[in-house]
Amino acid sequence: MSDATAQGAGAPAFRFSTAETAKHAVLILGALIVLLPFYVMLSYSFKSPAEIMQNTGGFFGAQLPFRDDYCVKLGNPVEACMVTPVIYNYTTAFQKAPLLRYLLNGVIVTGSIFVIQVLVALPCAYALAKLRFWGREAVFGLVLFCLLIPVHAIALPLYIMLAKVGLTNSYAALIIPWTISVFGIFLMRQFFMTVPDDLIDAARMDGMSEFSIVWNVMLPTAIPALMAFAIFSVVAHWNDYFWPRIVITGNRDLFTPPLGLREFKGDADGDNYGPMMASAVVIVSPLIVAFLLAQRRFIEGITLSGMK
Amino acid sequence: MARSRAHLWFIGPALVLMVLILIVPIGIAAALSFTDYSLGNSGASFVGVENYEKIFTRSTYEKMFGATFRYVGVVVPLSVGLGLGAALLIHSLKRFGDLYKTIYFLPVMAALIAMAIVWEFALHPTIGIFNSTLERGCGTVLENWGWYAKGCARTFPLWLNNRDYAIWTVCFIGIWQAFGFNMVLYLAGLTSIPRDLYAAAEMDGARSAWDRFRLVTWPMLGPTTVFVVTISLIRSFQVFDMVEAFYPHGGGPSKSVYVMMFAIYEKAIQQNLMGIGAAITVVFLGFVMVLTLIQRTLIERRTHYG
Repeated sequence: MSDATAQGAGAPAFRFSTAETAKHAVLILGALIVLLPFYVMLSYSFKSPAEIMQNTGGFFGAQLPFRDDYCVKLGNPVEACMVTPVIYNYTTAFQKAPLLRYLLNGVIVTGSIFVIQVLVALPCAYALAKLRFWGREAVFGLVLFCLLIPVHAIALPLYIMLAKVGLTNSYAALIIPWTISVFGIFLMRQFFMTVPDDLIDAARMDGMSEFSIVWNVMLPTAIPALMAFAIFSVVAHWNDYFWPRIVITGNRDLFTPPLGLREFKGDADGDNYGPMMASAVVIVSPLIVAFLLAQRRFIEGITLSGMK
Repeated sequence: MARSRAHLWFIGPALVLMVLILIVPIGIAAALSFTDYSLGNSGASFVGVENYEKIFTRSTYEKMFGATFRYVGVVVPLSVGLGLGAALLIHSLKRFGDLYKTIYFLPVMAALIAMAIVWEFALHPTIGIFNSTLERGCGTVLENWGWYAKGCARTFPLWLNNRDYAIWTVCFIGIWQAFGFNMVLYLAGLTSIPRDLYAAAEMDGARSAWDRFRLVTWPMLGPTTVFVVTISLIRSFQVFDMVEAFYPHGGGPSKSVYVMMFAIYEKAIQQNLMGIGAAITVVFLGFVMVLTLIQRTLIERRTHYG
């Protein structure tokens, strides 16, 4: 800290500074620890079982073909069963578990959750911000109260309710508890408060109905806030493990990515580490790649979730 | 005008869902916590405060509180401290700051369940990269350290399966996952501190970096800190993914990692003891709501005087 302020902007670009070097040393050490599991995951998704057991082969493994015992057991000639580790790991990951199905489920569930959250929250936020009506303060008070309740914490009664109406093991069970986002209402309402009333009055003068004002005037102005909220919502629900674990029991067709990965882990003996790491890579990648492409937006979106 | 009715359609769905999904379940949990209800049984009998009595007297639940508070007590200060430390360092750098920020934020984005599986593998006693790296240090000066010599002579710990290490290992992974998030919040806080304040402090004789931190940075970060601490508290109270992945049954060696969220899951979902699960839910919800309320009041007071 002292250095940056003391030297100021006029300091020569490449002057050696002990303090600066020390800072980098600390941060690099931290970065190594942070990256370690990512390194392990990626590296071992490339390696053959033997390399994994002996911890050899460097980052990418030697990629020497090895014999797939399972393939031999199925009665195939040995020559046909020689596989390259990286191909073996990734194909096994996709064959052993319906990974594509899990990813599709992930998209369906997170997508539906976000769309419904917006459909419910946006009009409500508009009404709370811009319409005058009896009971408005009470409704807003309720929103503030509900902000105190983490949905994960009331998972049990929600599960009982869903079980009573026979909805466990369905997409509905994965989506329903998240249809209401009080945080989304709160966020949008704060945003709408800053939109000038003149804009809405002008729209009314033009004969627009309140419905079309919400979707044709307010929605477009709220795009930046919606983007942030979308990122927050998608990241939270794509990575969520707790709720799917509770409501989806057994029916593989409904597994979301984290749940599918967990199942993969269940039958992991030594040989399966490669494919297991490969499936972890497949499940973690979509968000990580998206994050690397649009860091600023992601960080904004996730940071907003702190308000919850 | 249609306007007078429009709000009903706008508020209605949200209101119904709020009540059904957030308010009614609290009532249900509260009601069930006084019964011995289990799913599939037609009825349930009223057992009074028996469930709560169990929670506060039985040793299983003592272990549950022990594990939960140990986890929260370690993860919150360390993830906040490391988050602040990383933010201060990165903020003061002339270049590459964004690179570190990106790297440190990666764990926040990665599904914790996936990374837990990777960590479990990295910490595997025989084929894991962690212990095999430690073994390479054997025979060097590191052996002067008694703990290390013992590890070399026999084996290094079974990090996740040893009663003495398990909770701390889980805490470590929790910190690994959480601190990048805190760092980003602190970085946002740091950028909003006006530069002139440092100049003013310097004029008033705050020469050392420590003085500037103590007199300007830390007080200005007050609201951020309240925010970061409560968010971390609430999140670490809800830890579940790792515990379930590592210890699907029983909550770790000697129940040393039997955290509350896992206890709710085990009692209510695995064992179908809804009554006791509901009672833990109520206690748990109490904790979290009180924490959030404290945060609200603290932040509101700050903005009044700040």
